Amino acid sequence: MKEEKFTAKYKWCTLVLVLTMTVLLIRLWDLQIMRGAEMRKLSEQNRIRVKKVVAARGIIYDRTGKVLADTRPSFNIYLTPEDIKDFSQTVDGLAELLKCDREEIIEKMKAASGMPPSFPIKIKPDIPMDEVAKVEAHRVYIPGISIQIEPKRNYPYAASFAHVIGYVSEISDEELKDKKKYKDYSPGDYIGKYGLERAYEKELRGTDGEKRVEVDAMGREIRTLDVIEPIPGHSLYLNMDLDLQLTADKALETRKGAAIALNPKTGGVLVLASRPGFDPNLFASGISKKDWQKIALDKAHPLQNRAIQGGYPPGSTFKILLALKALDLGIINERTTFHCGGGFAYGNRVFKCWKKGGHGSVSVHRAIVESCDVFFYNVGLKLGVDRIHELGDILGMGRLTGIDLPAEQRGLIPSTQWKRRRYNQPWYEGETVSVAIGQGAVWLTPIHLAMLSSFVANDGKNFKPQVVNRIVSNQGKVIKTFEPVVNAELKLKPGVVKIVKDGMRGVVNEPGGTAGASKVQNVLMSGKTGTAQAGSQNVKLGDHAWFIAYAPSEDASIAMSILVEHGLHGSSAAAPIAKSITETLFKVKPDIKEAKAHENR
Amino acid sequence: MRIDKRRYYHLDWYLIINGLFIFGIGMMNLISATSSFSSGSWNFIIKQLIAFVMGLGLMLVIMYYDYRMIANHSKWIYAGGIFLVILVLIIGLAAGGAKRWISIFGFSIQPSELMKPILVVFLANMLYDRKRQNLPLSLKDIMKPLFWTLLPFVFIVKQPDLGTGIVIILVSFAMLWYVGLKKSTYAVLFGVGAISPFFAWHYLMKPYQKMRVLSFINIDADPAGFGYHAKQAIIAVGSGRFLGKGFMSGTQHKLQFIPEHHTDFIFTVFSEEWGFIGSVVLFALFISFINRCLKIAMNAHDELGSIMAFGVASIFYVQFTINVMMAIHLAPVVGIPLPLISYGGSSLISMMMCVGLLLNISTRRYMF
Repeated sequence: MKEEKFTAKYKWCTLVLVLTMTVLLIRLWDLQIMRGAEMRKLSEQNRIRVKKVVAARGIIYDRTGKVLADTRPSFNIYLTPEDIKDFSQTVDGLAELLKCDREEIIEKMKAASGMPPSFPIKIKPDIPMDEVAKVEAHRVYIPGISIQIEPKRNYPYAASFAHVIGYVSEISDEELKDKKKYKDYSPGDYIGKYGLERAYEKELRGTDGEKRVEVDAMGREIRTLDVIEPIPGHSLYLNMDLDLQLTADKALETRKGAAIALNPKTGGVLVLASRPGFDPNLFASGISKKDWQKIALDKAHPLQNRAIQGGYPPGSTFKILLALKALDLGIINERTTFHCGGGFAYGNRVFKCWKKGGHGSVSVHRAIVESCDVFFYNVGLKLGVDRIHELGDILGMGRLTGIDLPAEQRGLIPSTQWKRRRYNQPWYEGETVSVAIGQGAVWLTPIHLAMLSSFVANDGKNFKPQVVNRIVSNQGKVIKTFEPVVNAELKLKPGVVKIVKDGMRGVVNEPGGTAGASKVQNVLMSGKTGTAQAGSQNVKLGDHAWFIAYAPSEDASIAMSILVEHGLHGSSAAAPIAKSITETLFKVKPDIKEAKAHENR
Repeated sequence: MRIDKRRYYHLDWYLIINGLFIFGIGMMNLISATSSFSSGSWNFIIKQLIAFVMGLGLMLVIMYYDYRMIANHSKWIYAGGIFLVILVLIIGLAAGGAKRWISIFGFSIQPSELMKPILVVFLANMLYDRKRQNLPLSLKDIMKPLFWTLLPFVFIVKQPDLGTGIVIILVSFAMLWYVGLKKSTYAVLFGVGAISPFFAWHYLMKPYQKMRVLSFINIDADPAGFGYHAKQAIIAVGSGRFLGKGFMSGTQHKLQFIPEHHTDFIFTVFSEEWGFIGSVVLFALFISFINRCLKIAMNAHDELGSIMAFGVASIFYVQFTINVMMAIHLAPVVGIPLPLISYGGSSLISMMMCVGLLLNISTRRYMF
């Protein structure tokens, strides 16, 4: 055809084609060459997610290698905000699947609002298998939700070790705000909050690993690119003994109280039981609000470790301290006697002995065996409060013992100096009379009295209480062994400790001894009962029952202190617990015949 | 059936080989683009090859009959096309919120795709006489062709298939321009062209279509929806960089970041894997192909063939340009397939019918 009429149009067409090509190429140049690196990075970020591989927490063993705390796999629901397509679809869908409150999910998301949108937020930890199946089946309809398998803390003996081992729980927002202290932690991480879990957090935690995974637009993992393996935490071997602990815990189970047993030769903690307790597994699975309130608001204070935090008047167990000091100073000797007529007049007041008729003329031995108050009123006055305080403080009573558990509480053995400082008043001698039998301003925790019993048991030497024996890496290498640390080693006057020990053996083994009903077959156990007035003058509560003990009497391998809140009598409430611990330790068959408890101190 | 040897001799091998190159790249790219689907690539490849064979058959049929004869029957062909487009609205198969397909003998076809070449033939037949007399079209003259364009347009947009609608409108205007317009006609068309976007915005466009336009203007306006897809598309293209990530190695489409990555967004797959270099080669192939179409239009035996060839060239041009521009965020997201590359039987067959028309015209360029 070749007519001229189309050539002009063709020129226009060529121009349009050239123009189109130019525009497209400029744009491509801009995207692929100028911004290519940036776009490549964006596509990598799209594709690759860095996921944390939580390290397994170290295992906690008792002294014989029995597992007290370990980890098991758990399934956890995570939400990645970046992958959400429709907010209400994902959140409501999940809330419906898990039968939980959507507000709870939104709350969790708010808590992690400071993190990048690709950071997966833990929504619900440790879900049961049927929920795992439900969520897996509906994954497509709830984009952004994923399930991750993580190690989860497991406490096989639940409440029995709650106060020693403690628990782990998700790190709180407040803790996370402390960027310096918790810089290695991110929301959803577990952290030791109580007990050994808290005290040895650094050793137990291990180092989390990392996994780079390829994900699709729905956030589903397509494949793993590489993994930095996590390093499991170190294990703890305790000085504690599972069987002894369970015995003590069972004995206390229905009551309020504490039992603590030390190895007098090392300070190793064999038993540390406190009731009421709680199930630490509840915390490790992310405690619900309801469960938490039930525990936190319980009037029996299950979160208090009575063994190291509960201050009580020690009652007659305190007499041992006085006897030691008085004998050492020569204020009294083996043959010194005081007459007990059932009361002791001081000033314008009469201090009664627990035995109405009185004990008659008593030496220190009988005074310990029968727990004569009048004898110790006399001794106390002769000693003066400051010398009582002095020895107590040396033995570790009233102050912090340094046990490797967090939040240990001080007690109090008063002194003239203390009273001046505290009340700006002089000390009155009459107050010493009360202090002499462990009443008045004396407040001690069970571990303080365990320090006293182990001091006597070990002939004038005691050690800092230590729960953990050694730290062992996951390859079995011993990282650190805790050698016994001497707390007090006194050169007392020869024979002093023997006199007290004879007395304490008599408490259990001699006729008239206040704990005669708790005599153990085949093993000699020594002890001292205590019954301490609880409450004030106006509010009469049942007396606290105490028993301090050690066994065997001559070469002791266990020293104990038992407290039963409002247990009424040391002999009937506390001493039998020491007896069963001793029996368990020395594998004595429990006494079958039912011994009627002495209604004695 | 006797085939004139001279016609075989005069086959436009340039166009055929150029087209086969594009189709070959398309098939190769389709293997990668569909590899992430659970059904695997083969399913798609086989279907596309069946469509190719059917397209080849239709192409040969179209080439056998003289285009002038086809033009003589264009009224009936057009009526058939309109019938199918209306039929879709009545018995169409719905997919993704749109009714675009009808099922015939077990094959689902998309009549709106077939409407493109049919309209070109119909309009060329209507306009060639005016061209021969070299009379520019007045406003009154373009009313008739515009009416016959808007008729299928309305039904197609109703499906909704806005992409195809836009293609036939643009192609129809291009053909009118090619025939020649009076100055006054230009003025009125520009005027209408300036007003119509506002009219369309307020009365015609559906909310999701408006959203696409808005997210085109500001890509971050709707980062979770259309903006998200547009963004992921440019990330795919950009991340290809100079040499590309390599065949089968694109991550953006494989990990489902890009919707419709085997149909409308297929360019992102190619560009991600073959980079700037590959894209330049593909562009060159398309520009060369379109240019060849224009050459056929220039060298056609008569005005009818010329206008017909130009119409086909403009189909290729409009689809190629809008499709690529949409993928690299130079145009709003609209469903227009990349000719010979995108997955879809109807589109491929329609494009091969176009090629058949071109070959028909070019082989008969020396016949009187």
